[in-house]
Amino acid sequence: MAKVTEPQQRKSKNDSKVWEILCSVKLAVIIIVAMAVACILGTVILQQKSPEEYVDRYGAGLAKFFSAIQLTDIFHSYWFSFLLILLCVNLACCTIKRWRNKVLMIGFLVTHISIILILIGCVIDLLTGVKGGVNVYEGKSVDYYLTRSDYQKVPLGFQVFCDDFIIERHPPKYKLITYVKDKDKQKAVSLKVGKRIGISGTNYAATVKELIDDAEVLHEPINVSDKPNNPALYIQLSVRDNVTAEGWLLAKDRNWYNDTQRDLKIDYVWADSDEAHERLANAATKSSTKPTLEIRIDGTNIVKNVLVEKGNKVSIEGTDYVIEIKEFALDYSKRLVPLSEQELNNPAVMVEISGPQGKDSRWSFSKYPDYQDKAHKTIYKDVKLLCTVPEDFSNAKNRVRIVQNRSGKQTITYIKDGKVISTIDWVLGQNYDIADSKLQIRIAKYFPSHGLKKTVVKSTGGHEGHNHGPGEHHANPAILIEMEGPRGKYAEWVFAHTPPHWYPDKNFAILYEQSGMEVKDYKSILRVVENGKTMVTKTIEVNDALKYKGFVFYQSSYDPEGERYTGLQVTKNPGLIVVYTGFILLCLGIVFIFYVKPFLRQKLNKGKKIKEYYSEEEMLAEHIE
Amino acid sequence: MEFMLKLTLYVYCAAIVVYIVREVWRANAMRWVAFGVLSCGFILNTILVLTRWAEANHAPMSDKFESFVFFAWSIALVYLIFELVTIFIVKVHESRIGIIGALQCVLIVWMIYAALQSDSTIKELPPALQSNWLVTHVICYFLSYAALSMSFSAAIVYLIHRGIFSGKQKEAVVDETGSQKKKDYSFDKLAYITVSIGFPFLTIGLITGSIWAKGAWGTYWGWDPKETWSLISWLVYLAYMHLPLMLPKTNIKKSFRPILLSIILLIAFPIVLFTFMGMHTLPTSSDSNHIYAE
Ligand code: HEM
Repeated sequence: MAKVTEPQQRKSKNDSKVWEILCSVKLAVIIIVAMAVACILGTVILQQKSPEEYVDRYGAGLAKFFSAIQLTDIFHSYWFSFLLILLCVNLACCTIKRWRNKVLMIGFLVTHISIILILIGCVIDLLTGVKGGVNVYEGKSVDYYLTRSDYQKVPLGFQVFCDDFIIERHPPKYKLITYVKDKDKQKAVSLKVGKRIGISGTNYAATVKELIDDAEVLHEPINVSDKPNNPALYIQLSVRDNVTAEGWLLAKDRNWYNDTQRDLKIDYVWADSDEAHERLANAATKSSTKPTLEIRIDGTNIVKNVLVEKGNKVSIEGTDYVIEIKEFALDYSKRLVPLSEQELNNPAVMVEISGPQGKDSRWSFSKYPDYQDKAHKTIYKDVKLLCTVPEDFSNAKNRVRIVQNRSGKQTITYIKDGKVISTIDWVLGQNYDIADSKLQIRIAKYFPSHGLKKTVVKSTGGHEGHNHGPGEHHANPAILIEMEGPRGKYAEWVFAHTPPHWYPDKNFAILYEQSGMEVKDYKSILRVVENGKTMVTKTIEVNDALKYKGFVFYQSSYDPEGERYTGLQVTKNPGLIVVYTGFILLCLGIVFIFYVKPFLRQKLNKGKKIKEYYSEEEMLAEHIE
Repeated sequence: MEFMLKLTLYVYCAAIVVYIVREVWRANAMRWVAFGVLSCGFILNTILVLTRWAEANHAPMSDKFESFVFFAWSIALVYLIFELVTIFIVKVHESRIGIIGALQCVLIVWMIYAALQSDSTIKELPPALQSNWLVTHVICYFLSYAALSMSFSAAIVYLIHRGIFSGKQKEAVVDETGSQKKKDYSFDKLAYITVSIGFPFLTIGLITGSIWAKGAWGTYWGWDPKETWSLISWLVYLAYMHLPLMLPKTNIKKSFRPILLSIILLIAFPIVLFTFMGMHTLPTSSDSNHIYAE
């Protein structure tokens, strides 16, 4: 051990007992440990809460004890301040006492002085600094701030305008989540294409086969089989080789087309037998469905149906009502143009109800049966009307009926004004004149079994109709995912924002969803105005503050709902330079002690041979010369 | 990524075994085998860190997953450098540092395992974390933690050693090979050396953290639980560094002093780990700015 202190040195200082203690490393260790304990208490016991909260949490007795010895706000308590002062005194004393102008001492002196500097800097800030905050609404200004400690308004002496507040967000991210029901196991997995992700503990796995950042579904018509299960024709109408309309007609589904401009309706019907074919091909009118009006009288069980035809009149038995159909429109907004030129859009019927209290006329809309025009006074409130218009209703004078049957007969019948004009056989790809109109019809394709193939492709963009503001197009990503499990492999396209996709055994699911648009940055455009003059303008953001006249304005919070104000932290740190000097010195000093000094010592001791890496003496007397 | 992570885990597991074997069968070749296996783990770990960095577009130390992987990386790095230094510079040939290697690998395996358990999706950095100070701060801390973890391992080994040889460790170490080759480290000294390597980084980490907080929130010290606990860890090591000055002036028995110092290290490193990953268990954590995960 040896050479602990030189007796000579000892005498030269007038060392009273107190001085001795203040210099001692024993006191240093005691202070350090005491501070550590205080810090632990400061994080274990709730700090700076209301007295009630302490009583709630720790009981009345303990709460009283805590507040008596200032455990409820340790870091601002008198005894903690005392500890810090004692630490400073101890540091100062030992530094003075052991001050030696030696190279090896540099580290010791610098670190100890730097810690004193840091603490002094903090005290300067505490006494003369400012710590506050203020919220500024967009487009407004403040000329004050509120102190952090007790929310006092303090004038700034100038105005701070918030010209704009911006929240920048990252583009949305998508994540893939797997879920195994019987294990209740949920896991976020990576979205790498081609990587098989096994779900540990199960025999399920998922592989992303393809990923499209912005996808859309195309439905491509295909023929599924040669049996006429779902016959469909691709029809083209043209005028002098210019196609005016084209599309699919499905015998069992949407099997008509209305051309309101030419007062034409095309029907496609499928006959079960030759006789049926014969009948359909030569009949002038197919018993076509017509709009009906259902009349119900509230409070009774009287229901009556009438065909909607101008002038139809019914009297309702059991009541005094007589109801007459006055007008009918396929599209209410176009009710003034002839019916044959209206498209089925917003059908409505106008009725006149005659009853004991006179006449009551009203429009009844099939899409909004209970709509009552507020401007009109309805007299007979108990009369409820429901107008039903069949989807394929048409009033057209000209009709084309395409008939096909199983044995291969296929005909086109042209009907005008309820009379069959002609019936001819047709073949694919051939143009046929529609009687005396200028129109030609061509049946381009025939699929006995029409089906749709769903293909997912990269979106060509430009499609609208989603819920987003103008200008921002939100991509709609999709993945082709292959799920593996006890029933084999299944691959399917899964779009983001859709419900979980289940494996056929209903025990394994994947969910492809957006993981939120995280905030990239908060920014406020601040403008400082003093005496009517703009002094500074700066866009501040987190990690980049505005400085003016010693004040520093930090972006610290924002209005979480409306995003309409910016929350600024206002500080003034006159001690900052001292603190930072302390920081730098501490770094330099400590690096010197532990990384430079050992080598220096070796160099200075060159004469002596160092037998070991570290002798025990050196270990224990590490710092002692 | 998960496959790489698992592979890394297995290599590190192998390293534990090899280092233990090396302790028992102290052939020179075995030292290089052990060193090699751990280096392989380290290289894999480096690849993990770098690919993550490229994928995430930010320094990979912001969430739990990233910091576990990065911590494992720092532990391996610091240990490997230390071992190289003992072999080539200090030339302590028959060094027993291998047992420390085994313990370090256990810690690494724990970290990688923890990473495997945590959510590995890439998250965007919240605005406050988008600072270069953060990178300096975190790197300093993890290097320091890695060195301090070595002091912890050394303290454990020292105490066990003392338990077994109860004071006669000098003889036990020198034994027949001692004549030609240099002596082994004593583990208490090793512990002291590793703390003196880690402590400066701990200090710089504390300071850069404070500078970063000043830039982001406007206050360099707010007694936030995370801040407070990093101060606590610093204070404990500070006490440890000053104790060798104090102990000779007390009447604590000389032979007991290293035991006391080792016990302090045994307490200190768990405090560091708690600062690193235990913050959410504190009752005051809900008031914190800095505790993001869980
Ligand atoms: C990073 C921080 C610190 C470092 C690196 C450090 C380093 C040192 C070093 C190297 C010595 C030995 C000087 C010599 O060679 O004679 C020493 C001594 C001492 N330190 Fe510190 N110190 C630090 C913080 C503190 C603090 C916070 C205190 C007080 C609470 C303190 C109190 C003491 C005392 C009292 C001595 C004198 C020991 C004696 O007189 O024998 N140190 N310190």
